[in-house]
Amino acid sequence: MRHARVRSAKAYMMTAAVLLILNFALPRWMPGDAFLILSGEDQSIAVAFSEQQRQHYLAYYGLDRPLAHQFFQYLAGLARGDLGRSYHYREPVVDLILSRLPWTLFVGSAAFVLSIGFGIALGSISAWRRGETVDRVLYFVLVASGQIPGFLSGLLLLMLFAVTLGWFPLSGAATPFREWSGAAGRYLDILHHAALPVLTLALARTGNTYMLVRSSLASVLTRDYVITARAKGLRSRRVRYVHALRNALLPLITRAALQLGGLLGGAVLVENVFAYPGLGLLLQDAVLYRDYPLLQGILLFMSAAVLLANFAADRLYVRLDPRITMDRTTGPLVPGTTAAGKEGTYE
Amino acid sequence: MSSGTEGLAPGRGLLHIKLLVFWQGLGTLGRASLLIIVLFCSMAVFAPWVTLHPADRGSGPALAGPGGGHILGTDDLGVDIWSMLAFGARTSLIVALAAACLAGLGGSIVGTAAGYQGGWWDTAVMRAADVLIILPELPVVIVFAAFLGPSLGNIILVLVVFSWTRPARIVRAQVLRLKEEPYIRMAGLYGASPLYLMVRHLLPEVLPIVLVQMVQLAGRAVVVEASLAFLGPGDPTNRSWGMMINQALDFPGIHFTPYWQWWLLPPALALAILVTALAFLARELEPMADPRMRRS
Repeated sequence: MRHARVRSAKAYMMTAAVLLILNFALPRWMPGDAFLILSGEDQSIAVAFSEQQRQHYLAYYGLDRPLAHQFFQYLAGLARGDLGRSYHYREPVVDLILSRLPWTLFVGSAAFVLSIGFGIALGSISAWRRGETVDRVLYFVLVASGQIPGFLSGLLLLMLFAVTLGWFPLSGAATPFREWSGAAGRYLDILHHAALPVLTLALARTGNTYMLVRSSLASVLTRDYVITARAKGLRSRRVRYVHALRNALLPLITRAALQLGGLLGGAVLVENVFAYPGLGLLLQDAVLYRDYPLLQGILLFMSAAVLLANFAADRLYVRLDPRITMDRTTGPLVPGTTAAGKEGTYE
Repeated sequence: MSSGTEGLAPGRGLLHIKLLVFWQGLGTLGRASLLIIVLFCSMAVFAPWVTLHPADRGSGPALAGPGGGHILGTDDLGVDIWSMLAFGARTSLIVALAAACLAGLGGSIVGTAAGYQGGWWDTAVMRAADVLIILPELPVVIVFAAFLGPSLGNIILVLVVFSWTRPARIVRAQVLRLKEEPYIRMAGLYGASPLYLMVRHLLPEVLPIVLVQMVQLAGRAVVVEASLAFLGPGDPTNRSWGMMINQALDFPGIHFTPYWQWWLLPPALALAILVTALAFLARELEPMADPRMRRS
């Protein structure tokens, strides 16, 4: 039987607390302080603040206060939805993130739907034809494509379909500076640009769903009630879809909920390959320009999404499967059978 | 997949027989994966002897195609691609080995202690694992690397911090089961100390499972290292496959030239093949390490 650990709400609160503390502590851990960095950052003119100026700014931004005081200031800012201002873009971090969010959500959810669909279809084929050539080929291809990080398969797809064949645009989310006569042309253009990133993300994620459906369905197919259904003389199609698949998909539902959480953070590298203007690209800019407030804001956003999704998946699992009870530690954690694990962190 | 698996039996025996049993237990996929991994390892170890040109400075015309004195051609500074590839394998494999060993062994020691000892130590370990497992790995790693600097040591450190939890939990669950076994209890009754029990009986028993975990960890470590190098300016003196990809993509208009074919493709393919081989090896080893998880 499948063992699952369902985490308590306390674990989530603690994770959230760790996250907040981490976010608060990271810039303060670094050698020097914000004004040493600001003054040394500009490559052309290295303007060094005098010691007096530094003290002034430290006092101005409240960085000379006790850490506890600063921490509560930080929490208060968060509660107001204030994540600070980006050094590089000179805009509020929240606005920047919100402006990029729709693109990431768009490609992420499209890839999500595709990968779930393909995963179920291919996983069922494999489970029904266990050990046959079809199964072996699918197994090999999907494990491989699921393991190869998205930025690599993205690069290969880019080189093949965009560079060599010229079927898709090289980068971006829409053709810049182009006037469209109607809405249809504009949307088609956006879809055209999204095709390769979506395909890449879907490719990387399908393996996961596939493996889950394959093993889950294979174990369901050996159950007594399936054998009974067959013995009753039901058509094999009815047995497969109504009796077996429905129950085999139970673990997939929570897995899918988890994948939704990885949606924001999962596309970081793939967005970079295709220069797709989502959160991932913004994160790379933030890394490139050492834009610490922006880095922290994005990290907070991505982590919050994962946290919420994990929480939802756990609740969903308990609700859907009455055999699972809320228990802190149950049974061995067998790989691939956990209710909640990390999802989509490598694309 | 694997037919006639004998399991990584912990009994004594002649080494070559054990190796033979192991080799036969692996399926075709597992054997191929193992060979590929050994090939990459020897490429890394013998990098100075299998390359003709230095990997850190130019040694020929810039952007020369494959052939001539340079097997795989050169990059924009005239650096030999094959040399960079061979030396880059070192970076990937060092990170993989270090992260896998530290996280795998550290995790299993922590997990054994937690499972055997129980009490506050167990609670603390499991709480920490709960917290860590929910954090989204890649964004956190990226941000950490941005703050701490993307040196190899830091990458390994962050990887270990994130990866010890899985071996620890698996080992803990195994130890919880094992410590009720008659032979362990008997050893305890004969006066074996907890430390002796852990080192002598529990760790060897869980080692095969930990090894599978370590192979998986190695694959993830390769991916994370390459991702970080691909994403941002790392330490430029450190040759790595991710860095080669990053530099190739930074070359203006690489898409419109044929250069990508010998500059971008080799490191990308090397990474893809290594990661896939590690994944398949782990999958093939899994049922051997734990017969109860054997797939039908």
